[in-house]
Amino acid sequence: MSDFIVHVTIMSGLYALLALSLNLQAGFGGLMNFGQIGLFACGLYGAAIAFQFDLSAIFGFAFAIVAAALLGWAFASVGRNLQADYWGIVTLALAEVIRIIATNEDWLTGGAQGIGGIRPFYFDLDSQTRQIAILFTVLALVLAAALLCRHLIGGRYGLSIKIMREEPQLAASLGYNTITLKRQLMAVSSVLAAISGFLFAHYISFAGPEQIDSSETFLIWAMIVVGGLGNNIGAIVGAFLLQFAFAFIPFVKDWIGLPTEYVAAGRLFLTGGGLIIFILWRQSGIVPERVGGGRYV
Amino acid sequence: MFQFLVDVLMRACDLMLVAIGMSAVYSLMKFPNIALVQYAATGGVLGIVLQKTGMPVVIAVAFAVLLTGLLAVILNEFLFNRMLKIGSSTAMIGSLAVSMIFSAGFLVTVGPSPSRFAMPLSRPVRILDARITEPQLLSFAIVAAAIGMFALLYFRTDLGRCMRATSTNEVLADATGINTARMKTIIVLISGVMAALGGVAIALKGEVDIQMGMDLLLPVFASAILGGLGNPFGAIAGALLISFAETAVTAVNFGPLLGQVVAFLPVAYASAISFLLLVAALLWRPRGLFVSEVKRV
Repeated sequence: MSDFIVHVTIMSGLYALLALSLNLQAGFGGLMNFGQIGLFACGLYGAAIAFQFDLSAIFGFAFAIVAAALLGWAFASVGRNLQADYWGIVTLALAEVIRIIATNEDWLTGGAQGIGGIRPFYFDLDSQTRQIAILFTVLALVLAAALLCRHLIGGRYGLSIKIMREEPQLAASLGYNTITLKRQLMAVSSVLAAISGFLFAHYISFAGPEQIDSSETFLIWAMIVVGGLGNNIGAIVGAFLLQFAFAFIPFVKDWIGLPTEYVAAGRLFLTGGGLIIFILWRQSGIVPERVGGGRYV
Repeated sequence: MFQFLVDVLMRACDLMLVAIGMSAVYSLMKFPNIALVQYAATGGVLGIVLQKTGMPVVIAVAFAVLLTGLLAVILNEFLFNRMLKIGSSTAMIGSLAVSMIFSAGFLVTVGPSPSRFAMPLSRPVRILDARITEPQLLSFAIVAAAIGMFALLYFRTDLGRCMRATSTNEVLADATGINTARMKTIIVLISGVMAALGGVAIALKGEVDIQMGMDLLLPVFASAILGGLGNPFGAIAGALLISFAETAVTAVNFGPLLGQVVAFLPVAYASAISFLLLVAALLWRPRGLFVSEVKRV
């Protein structure tokens, strides 16, 4: 049982990184990104492709970071004169294009079969110790990412992107270049998502197109809405809450004695229902955004 | 050649009604309703389920379509209207949540395996060298009739005039004594009915499975956005354009370009190309190709 808890905690940590990244974009910057999983894909396939072609993991990591930053930059560039809802659909479409390419370019990505057998981290440790080592690595990264987000948001940069979210025209009139701000924000947060993807590939030793389905993006959205849009702690809380809830659905199913389809349905009910409940009755999520109060200004 | 046109037209029929519904809702409610693609799936699934209970096809379809329309009105009244008070982005995420609940609902009620209408088998007819099956003709007729009715309603009746007035300037329409709240309810009902009919038209040609809604999401969005969200008749052009791109990409031999005899793109790339077409079109015209909205100065 404790192995299971460790596994769920690691998964929650990986999703927390994704949620922190999406929260930077959507919560603080007001960017309705529905293609978050495309950024995750950069990290996932960065690790997998480096393994496939016998390159070192460091190369895979560098590739993942650069690809994600460029993709984030491209997302922001495409959206420079689009309305929020149009941009949301465009990012969704671009992420789907990435998934289609990953499914069809067998020579590069292993196609629908994916790439398996990726060497896990801490390869020389025995499996139990390795799990613990990975757990601490992931938790340390989540902490580091949360501190980074806090640093970004607490400073002048954070204020400028919040102004951009609330009053884009005011931000422009104050001399902020909103396109540059968006591009920087996307590039920085994309790197976080790519790191999550890179760790994910090495943790479960597999990368396949079903992991980058757009429904995953919607799951991350549910995490930040439930946790609290515009609050870093909220993003982490949301990720852990939903992952742990998901992990226990199969037990509930066995306990009531329902067929297997109900596990997938249960997840969908939980994600969708959680979203609706929080949107209708607790808009600010579990941990609401703190208004005002910068540390450096 | 004629076969190519038929293929384009058939694919456009799949997308058109749902895209028109999405555009029509956007024109009044000002948010892209993701759940609409699930109304299409509901229409198809419900029609099949009702037929299995022993109803004749026509009555089963009529019931399915009306029930879906009512469902759309109920959801709008209790969820989307409340979410819209918070903001259109929130309503969009809310509609995403509703769409997840629909997926879960399909999973526990009809299960993951595809189903179809019980129809007599028939040989394809040949028209000008192209093979067309009877169900395809039937589904084309349904789509054409629905569009015709909608056009008549929209452009020739008093109700349609009120709808257009409300979508152009709600405050002014309200001031001239138009009951705008009722107009919204009516357009939501119509959009639900159109989407459900679209789903039935797809189901008549083949199978319906629970993924149908989500598979429709991006092509339908692409059609509606290309046509200029909020312009229902632009959506028809958008659907034709997207289907043309999808069909052309798979039907054109790229061999001569690459110095080979035959080189076709994999079928899976059809949708990727249409999404890229969407992105390219939006870069050039950020609000779609045929924008009818009056912009306030």
